[in-house]
Amino acid sequence: MIAQPAYESQRLGMKYFAAAITLFGVMIVAGLAAAASYVVPGFLPGLPFSIQKILHIDTLIIWLLMGFLGSIYYLLPLEYKRDLVGMKLANAVFWIFCGTVAAVALTFIFVQIGPGTEKTLWLVNQGRKYVEAPRWASVIITIGIAVFMYNVIATAVLAKRMTGVLWVLIADLVPLFALYLIAFPAITNMSADQFWWWWLVHFWVEATWEVLMACIVAIMLMQLLNTKRNIVETWLYIEVALVLGTGVLGIGHHYFWIGAPKYWMGIGGLFSALEPLPLLGMVVHAIYDAGEHKMQVANRPAFFWMLAEAFGNFIGAGIWGFMITLPQVNMFAHGTQWTASHGHFAFWGAYGCGVITVIYLALQHQRKAESFNGTAWKWGFGMLNLGMIGMAGALLVSGMTQAFYERAIGGSTLSAFIAAQQNPWFVEGMWMRLASGLLFAGGYFVLVYDFLTIGRRVEVTAPAAPVLSGSAGD
Amino acid sequence: MTAVELIVSSLLLGGFVAAGGAYGILLSLGHALRDARWRRLALAAYAVQCIFAVAVVVFTPLDWWWKLLIGASDAAYYFVPPMTWRYLISLHDLPEESSR
Repeated sequence: MIAQPAYESQRLGMKYFAAAITLFGVMIVAGLAAAASYVVPGFLPGLPFSIQKILHIDTLIIWLLMGFLGSIYYLLPLEYKRDLVGMKLANAVFWIFCGTVAAVALTFIFVQIGPGTEKTLWLVNQGRKYVEAPRWASVIITIGIAVFMYNVIATAVLAKRMTGVLWVLIADLVPLFALYLIAFPAITNMSADQFWWWWLVHFWVEATWEVLMACIVAIMLMQLLNTKRNIVETWLYIEVALVLGTGVLGIGHHYFWIGAPKYWMGIGGLFSALEPLPLLGMVVHAIYDAGEHKMQVANRPAFFWMLAEAFGNFIGAGIWGFMITLPQVNMFAHGTQWTASHGHFAFWGAYGCGVITVIYLALQHQRKAESFNGTAWKWGFGMLNLGMIGMAGALLVSGMTQAFYERAIGGSTLSAFIAAQQNPWFVEGMWMRLASGLLFAGGYFVLVYDFLTIGRRVEVTAPAAPVLSGSAGD
Repeated sequence: MTAVELIVSSLLLGGFVAAGGAYGILLSLGHALRDARWRRLALAAYAVQCIFAVAVVVFTPLDWWWKLLIGASDAAYYFVPPMTWRYLISLHDLPEESSR
């Protein structure tokens, strides 16, 4: 298994992981508050639902982004066989990034809204979902990503060593940086604003993040399962081609109801329909790897989280996504809890599980453990995944109720909206989501406990079966 | 599309992909475990997927080109898992190359 000394960039990677897992916790707390507000309106006086939701979805983006940065900073020295360039700058950026996130969170909690002037955009809230962070914070995030690009590219130049994974990674960093620039303009035409905003939200998630995750998994496969480089790289090229081939034009499914030209319905529907096929290929690959290793690897938690990623991605993005992706169905489901159900499951499967996998791998490396196993990770794995299945299932029931009563029967009127919100199926779904969220939160605490102690605590194993004295063999 | 048709259509579409996933998983397990029973189960899952595809064509109010897409996808699903598996095997048989 891996036995290199820890590089400075790997130490920075561990800091990013700590920050990511802390924000994962903040995301869960904000999510629980929002879930509770659905069933007990006004649950948190002074912190309206809109702010709870902003905290929930923005920390989702930031914890995953920090997890990706941590993964790259941790794994890349293994590719380059050297430390990354510009680590002092990268360390400074990390602390600035953390300070920025804390300042933005405090602004959202205590200031909340402004008068809607240019000053509000700069200091309080930009008002666009997922990128609400005020403009000063967006500038810092942009600089942070630019420094990250510099670390990776300058190291490649100095190391004079390029692999297929590195080519793909560097090519992906350009849109990762450029697309974030869309967070800045405030376009007054709603259709034009939504059109470009989806470039940020969709392309970040279904293009640059997918490719980034594929690069991380590629390096991880080589480290975790000792998979040969040419296998990993060939598969990486195919996966990237398939994901981009279906995902890029799959953006059309977000253009259905924003005033974009009608031809997007055909393009979006067609390419979205093809999106489950590469995900199916990933599931087949995961089973192939599991069979190759007979489920026996030195780092069982990382291995099982990697399998969870493949299956979660297929179920959350593939099955849940396909239920609502064709325009005729999407017209009723768009913007209901149904899409929230798909979003929860897909984000968790595609990215959450992947980041947790890398953290387990890094911890084994840091703690120089021969193998990672035990009981706690199984509880964390079970509670988190069951909690997520419960949340996605409950939101599905509530979302279907909304689509059925509010949209299809009620014609999207205000009274139909109220009627759907009061429907027992909707209400019970929201209660079930809260209960599943609590299970998920419990799993988070077990996961954190396991992260802190795995490889350090003494595992008590079952005693060997006693040998019978006086048996025939004696 | 009526409210009932909406729920039926979406469930059939979700079921279609879920059955395709089950086919891929069971076929892969059959190959990994070298057990023909899993492969027979995989074919049963694919048959269920075909039933879902037919149900989408017959019972949903989707336009004809979406129904055609579901039919074509159904055919594609049949080939993706075995092709992926064969490709993975041939890939693992390749000699290791040094990195560039």
